[in-house]
Amino acid sequence: MNVVNANSVVMKKLLVFTVVMFVFGFALVPFYEKICEVTGLNNLLQADTLVENPQVDTARWVTIELDANVRGLPWQFKPLQRSVSVHPGEMVQVMYEISNNSNREINGQAIPSYSPQLLAKHLKKLECFCFSKQVLKPNEVRQMPVQFMIESNLPADINTVTISYTFFELGTNNAAAMRDSGNRS
Amino acid sequence: MAAVDHDIAHAHDDHHPTGLMRWIGATNHKDIGTMYLWFSFIMFLTGGVMALTIRAELFQPGIQIVNPELFNQLTTMHGLVMVFGAIMPAFVGFANWQIPMMIGAPDMAFARMNNWSFWLLVPAALLLISSFFVPGGAPAGGWTIYPPLSVQMGMGMDMAIFALHIMGAASIMGSINIITTVLNMRAPGMTLMKMPLFVWTWLITAYLLVLAMPVLAGAITMLLTDRNFGTNFFNAAGGGDPVMFQHIFWFFGHPEVYIMILPAFGIVSEIIPTFARKPLFGYSSMVYATASIAILSCIVWAHHMFTAGMPAAGQLFFMYATMLIAVPTGVKVFNWTATMWRGSMTFETPMLFAIGFIFLFTIGGFSGVICAIVPIDIQVQDTYYVIAHFHYVLVSGALFALFGGTYYWLPKWTGHMYDETLGKWHFWLSMFFFNLAFFVQHFLGLAGMPRRVPDYALQFADFNMISSIGAFGFGLTQLLFLYVVLKCIRGGEKAPASPWEGAKTLEWTLPSPAPYHSFETPPVVK
Amino acid sequence: MKEKKAKLDGGKLLQISGAVFWAFFGVRKQSDLELDASTLTPAQVIIGGIVGAALFVGSLMLLVSLVTS
Repeated sequence: MNVVNANSVVMKKLLVFTVVMFVFGFALVPFYEKICEVTGLNNLLQADTLVENPQVDTARWVTIELDANVRGLPWQFKPLQRSVSVHPGEMVQVMYEISNNSNREINGQAIPSYSPQLLAKHLKKLECFCFSKQVLKPNEVRQMPVQFMIESNLPADINTVTISYTFFELGTNNAAAMRDSGNRS
Repeated sequence: MAAVDHDIAHAHDDHHPTGLMRWIGATNHKDIGTMYLWFSFIMFLTGGVMALTIRAELFQPGIQIVNPELFNQLTTMHGLVMVFGAIMPAFVGFANWQIPMMIGAPDMAFARMNNWSFWLLVPAALLLISSFFVPGGAPAGGWTIYPPLSVQMGMGMDMAIFALHIMGAASIMGSINIITTVLNMRAPGMTLMKMPLFVWTWLITAYLLVLAMPVLAGAITMLLTDRNFGTNFFNAAGGGDPVMFQHIFWFFGHPEVYIMILPAFGIVSEIIPTFARKPLFGYSSMVYATASIAILSCIVWAHHMFTAGMPAAGQLFFMYATMLIAVPTGVKVFNWTATMWRGSMTFETPMLFAIGFIFLFTIGGFSGVICAIVPIDIQVQDTYYVIAHFHYVLVSGALFALFGGTYYWLPKWTGHMYDETLGKWHFWLSMFFFNLAFFVQHFLGLAGMPRRVPDYALQFADFNMISSIGAFGFGLTQLLFLYVVLKCIRGGEKAPASPWEGAKTLEWTLPSPAPYHSFETPPVVK
Repeated sequence: MKEKKAKLDGGKLLQISGAVFWAFFGVRKQSDLELDASTLTPAQVIIGGIVGAALFVGSLMLLVSLVTS
């Protein structure tokens, strides 16, 4: 019958469209990462480029509280100082220490978090242990630096900020994804 | 296709099974429509009980009735049940009953698939509800199931994800059915531009469904593999991004908002001309505005996540695009008003609900425009202002249109007139208690009361008590609706073929109640 | 949708873009609508709609870049 054929043609077209939209949902993932890359959003795992001759605002002090956490892995992780006071525009280096308290080799990745959120815009990191994964042998202890600068255009009402790192364990699954995104985003 | 061959054969077959088998194996669009409507009403009561538990807890400050964990499960499940269990299936029920009769078709295009789409909903709903009883309880991270919470929760979350998959598949099948029916099964002479507006809005809604539901399926599939198979789509520690889930979710979620309101526009566009006894003002504008809203709805999703972290340029883009949606929506409101202008209006219950819809939906629309303004949204994000906004568009929008449509077509469905006095009571009580419950929530939101929290500061106590009283009144009023519908099914004044003087669409040419098989020989539309 | 597309002359293009523009605004005269429905194919309207949406997005982005610059 004519209507029957016409109906199944429409149904097939719509089914194809449905599948296309399902795939489109997944295609949004690389698309999203591409947008972040092009617009320079979310580059947590890359060193920032510095402006030439940063101006140091010697009249102003900003206190930086250093925070360190581990999530689900048998490590100890702490900054060597609880906090530092710096001038905006000045280059600073702080040290963190991780120690593996277990008898196995563990891969970990640190993810930064800033408070207030606004700090992310004004914090320029030259060197960080969070740019790559850290591999710790059983009972290994390691000290690692973070080298950064707070831009002098940080709003004047902010006097204290917190920089926090959390270490996550990288499983075998996570590792490839981590490496990929480390290069990409 | 075998199923299709069967459908056509079925249409010429007067014999149909009786008893339970009539419903389990139902392929008749009217039977399936009835099942959809009862299913959605049961889910409406289920979600309503959750809402009332929430409001009972919020009646006074402090924790009295439910613990915070259960409270979060209730808010989450209230949203999921109402959106996917009540509002969407109810509109599909209307589509099943009305679309074939309004375009002069004998049945839906794929009757067997129609049966599947309904019966898939039942196990999905059971799966969703039973997540309350597994270790860890139901999903509790909000109906939007954002990671990281949704990645960390117990197995209740997996059950909800499967339930959403099944419901999504059912909606997609339903939409394919509706699109095919509307495109291919119209009576001779029923051109696209002569179709009743309800059919038009459903055609566009069905396209939105096949566009948006697969994207949701993709998003929750990624969530599922993140939870169980070690992928890292949304896991920050593994290189994923939880904010990306929000983008994908709302790419589905905003069209979903219009999926829930466009058929309501269609129902109101049928009721208003009937009781104003004038043709719909600007029919073609209404069609164009519906299409316009549908297209625009796909490019405004990020206004749900202004505070999730976004460059100012992005915020501005989504703010402008969102505010522009108010233009075609405004066109619709003006067209309804113009239809009533100098009409010979009478105020039977369907008309009361339609007018209530226009009045309250406009309030919800305006608070939507307010929320679209980025600096204001940053203030009211996740407060009761947003709750008030979307209940004004979903309860007094979608739900009032559903009530109005039910009263409008009940005589056609049951063959009896409903009790007009009780219907009017239902409307006025709903109207009063709805506003009592939700209008004050605007004030709570502006004062800063956050959503999804079981306790609150003392200064919010008065408005919360008022809101809870309104909510209980509104909930109990719906039992009156149940009574009116049951009374109408069991008996009442015999309904003529066309009980409404001004009704012009094709279904009113059939006797009431509509015969089991209608339009087997297609009517000719002039 | 399967029949060969009518030749796109200037008048046709103008008619499609008119239909799409008024669709975005949400207002259309009944007579124009009937003309559209009888002379335009669905494929033309859909492609026109997608192009219209792209233009709409583009112009919004232009406006945003003007505002933020």
